[in-house]
Amino acid sequence: MGDSYGGGYSRTSYNAGGGDDAGGFVYGGSQNGSQSGAGKGYGDATLRPVTIKQLIDAEQAYPDAPFRVDGLEITEVTFVGMVRAISPQTTNVTFRIDDGTGVIEVKQWLDADKQDDENSPKNACALDSYVRVWGRVKSFNNKRHVGSHYIKPVTDYNEVQYHLLEATFCHLFFTKGAQGGAAAAANGGAGNDSMFVDGGHGAGGGDVPMSDGLRMVSAKARQVHAWLVNAEGGNEGLHANIIATAMGISVGEVLKCGEELTSAGVTYTTVDDETFAILDY
Amino acid sequence: MESTSTPRISSPLVDSYVGQNVMVIGKVQQLRGDTAVIEAEGQITANLNRDAHLVNGNAAQIIGKVLPDLSIKVLSSLDLGNGVDFKVAQAVVDATHQYRDLFVFDAAKGGMMG
Repeated sequence: MGDSYGGGYSRTSYNAGGGDDAGGFVYGGSQNGSQSGAGKGYGDATLRPVTIKQLIDAEQAYPDAPFRVDGLEITEVTFVGMVRAISPQTTNVTFRIDDGTGVIEVKQWLDADKQDDENSPKNACALDSYVRVWGRVKSFNNKRHVGSHYIKPVTDYNEVQYHLLEATFCHLFFTKGAQGGAAAAANGGAGNDSMFVDGGHGAGGGDVPMSDGLRMVSAKARQVHAWLVNAEGGNEGLHANIIATAMGISVGEVLKCGEELTSAGVTYTTVDDETFAILDY
Repeated sequence: MESTSTPRISSPLVDSYVGQNVMVIGKVQQLRGDTAVIEAEGQITANLNRDAHLVNGNAAQIIGKVLPDLSIKVLSSLDLGNGVDFKVAQAVVDATHQYRDLFVFDAAKGGMMG
């Protein structure tokens, strides 16, 4: 397996140690294979902060399918929890991690070359101390565990709280759209899928104060809303075609967003069903 | 893998968790024998176990069961030093209850409470 990978270095090193992950050969073949090939590419990998309950609740469409949280596939995840039990095995160390929302087993595979290292998992994590775990959810004999590459002790307790809030933020981002996503409209239509980077953090710069209605709509609808606010359509509003052309998205999408915004009470339709104007309070 | 939670709560929520295991993050106000008073948006009395090593004035995390008299029988406690931001801790309590789906297995489903 060692020479057959094409770019997915982080997985490969894990697979080499783990051995229980049949997906390793996805990267088989040549460098090109990984680009055109089946399976999720390295570029699609995400690192999502989660609570343990979210991992236990994660769904699979069919056995061996990728796990989904909030309807989105998860690859790498990170969480913070207390070590409840440590059981060293010959090939791995199994931890029971409890974050107050649930308990899950985490297996960290041992690197035969680095025995008795100071950084070995056993030494890094004390019982009943908090650790941060990075890894992937695995299913083995219908039992879920997390295969971890890296476990680090938490030195500042605020990280525990921070993590739980970050996990909540991500959940809300994916289910309800970016926070005050108005600023993201500046990116134009093309980059809509990368909103997290563009919109999430830049949100503070949005010049449109977020009303209550907007909190419930999708990120894209917010972009349409932000564009409309700046477009000065007046009482007549602007037709979906004009919005679509200006924002570089399809008319269908604009109509969908318009409907969403209208039902949220932040826009209304004017001369016909396809012309939207901002509802000013 | 266990579907049990110890929800993070503060003083105003104690009475809705009688008989359940919870987690409280707060400031230790008093230590008297095996009883501690924890400040978390109000005072909570905690009945400590033998191996508790809490420090007066420091932050602490306690996990335990809420008794009918609204005190907490501590199962596990942790001294958190003095660098804990209680506002953030309270924000987590709020998030826990506002977005319960992310944090709490309800007793009916988990079946391990009590």
